[in-house]
Amino acid sequence: MSAGRIAPLLIAAGLTVGCGQARRSEPLMGPLTLQSDAEQGRTTFMKYCQPCHPGGEAGLGPSLNDKALPTFLKKFQVRQGIGSMPSFSEAEISDQQLDDIMAYLKALRGHEGEPGG
Amino acid sequence: MPTKPRISWRRGLLAFVVLAFVIGGCYWMRRSKGGGMTEFEGARPIHPQDIALPDGYAIEAIATGLTFPTGVAFDEAGGIYVVESGYSYGEVTDTPRLLRVEPGGGTRVIASGGGNGPWNGVAGHEGAFYVAEGGAFEGGRILRVTPDGQIVAIADSLPSMGDHHTNGPVVGQDGWIYFGQGTATNSAVVGEDNASFGWLERHPDFHDTPCRDVTLTGVNFESTDPLNGGETTTGAFSPFGTPTTEGQVVRGRVPCNGAILRVRPDGGAIELVAWGLRNPFGLAFGPDARLYVTDNGYDERGSRKVFGSGDYLWRIERGAWYGWPDFAGGRPFFDDDIRPVLARAPGNPPEPAAVFGVHSSADGFDFSRNAAFGHVGEAFVALLGDMSPPVGKVLSPVGFKVVRVDVESGVVEDFAVNEGDTNGPASWLGSGGLERPVAARFDPSGTALYVVDFGVMTMTERGPEPRKETGVLWKITRSGSR
Repeated sequence: MSAGRIAPLLIAAGLTVGCGQARRSEPLMGPLTLQSDAEQGRTTFMKYCQPCHPGGEAGLGPSLNDKALPTFLKKFQVRQGIGSMPSFSEAEISDQQLDDIMAYLKALRGHEGEPGG
Repeated sequence: MPTKPRISWRRGLLAFVVLAFVIGGCYWMRRSKGGGMTEFEGARPIHPQDIALPDGYAIEAIATGLTFPTGVAFDEAGGIYVVESGYSYGEVTDTPRLLRVEPGGGTRVIASGGGNGPWNGVAGHEGAFYVAEGGAFEGGRILRVTPDGQIVAIADSLPSMGDHHTNGPVVGQDGWIYFGQGTATNSAVVGEDNASFGWLERHPDFHDTPCRDVTLTGVNFESTDPLNGGETTTGAFSPFGTPTTEGQVVRGRVPCNGAILRVRPDGGAIELVAWGLRNPFGLAFGPDARLYVTDNGYDERGSRKVFGSGDYLWRIERGAWYGWPDFAGGRPFFDDDIRPVLARAPGNPPEPAAVFGVHSSADGFDFSRNAAFGHVGEAFVALLGDMSPPVGKVLSPVGFKVVRVDVESGVVEDFAVNEGDTNGPASWLGSGGLERPVAARFDPSGTALYVVDFGVMTMTERGPEPRKETGVLWKITRSGSR
């Protein structure tokens, strides 16, 4: 099987199969320290993404914290929407805000502090 | 020179599109995993160690064995009081009561209501308690309860016989009693779902009443008729089986549905504060002296289903319209298939101060005001948790915890959650932690946060099944850094 055929399968695996648990919140993992771009990203995330992925965990939609999706695919997903997920135009979420959301998600996914802080 | 295998952008895009269909399809095929979709038998275990808090905080159970508690209040001496609802979704009734929580966890009955629950919240003020009587059977009332058990209604005939009831209340610095009045329906159209709630058969003519005149688009909805059999057609703001026409004007009046209202402590005329809300459940004044309200967003049920609506924290502006039934979170619905029922929006809905998870049921809350507890100025909000699948599908339990909210930035952070690999109520996780937090309020000193836990309510094919005597009053304090 060529790499061209394997790659989509790997992407599918990343989308559908989680890597570890998705919970990252302060009571369980301690406080999360953010750089300024991720801090901005958190604010935008709260407005547009939090309803379906609260704290990056599953809810109405799937969890984000345990998915190793490439950033460009996440951005594509936000811009185009997939399945039941709505799309968000640049008028709603600017390119800079989208970059900041990606920075926040990266920080959140990498947050594996000591439980209880 | 050998060439490195590459994926062409066309092939990658094609793969992604295919993937999108696969995943999109998977979403609709996956069954719901709501937090209430579990079994529960026997006594509720209580294990505070099963609840995770930020470093330096501790939680303990102050009272257990409560039946459908919904609110906590304090007297001038620091005495602790809780209200038991007397009614729960699932059409389970009991006696609504105001209880004093004695040292050691025992309770003493201060006052008992009739069969017109749910009592949704309580506030203490100048030697009396103000209770929102939900009024599922006879209409909502605001009750003034004195410590000797005397009950006087200072507001009555509130339109509460539908899905959502009379909620709150809270006392303003101006001395008025502010309260929330929920809507009769999910999105202004009476349908089969309201028969499932139990009230359509009791009150077949009941429907939503706007606070101001509204003009309709005349969009009508077909449904089966659980009252008479066959099919029927229903329009917005109309009784079940009554269609509407384009340009039809529905007269507004007060009291109305989906509103914040207020009344003086000794009664009198009810005044409109804000409208266009759905189920304004929790009310609290912030450090900026402004009124904030939690609002339960739309469900994916009934004749006019709305997918993907979060719950909201609103900063209330006097006289403003907040968007129900044609907007969600200050915006028109993203689903173009949901046609507006209002020909003209009565205003431009404000932006929410914060957004919570879809179906999380953001309910009672309070603001921290003491540096000894921390997070001064932030709101601590109880999330009752989803009632999936009747309200819509979720891929994992939503809510069942207490969060804190920075009302300036809108950032929502977990504060008290159950331990475990996934979020959910204790009954779902098999632990002794939080079940369904329905209210959070600081004591008069501001050093302790009391969390009212409604208790176990599972969701079955027969609908909600709440369990009596499983409610808990929790107390969270800051013990200092470990």
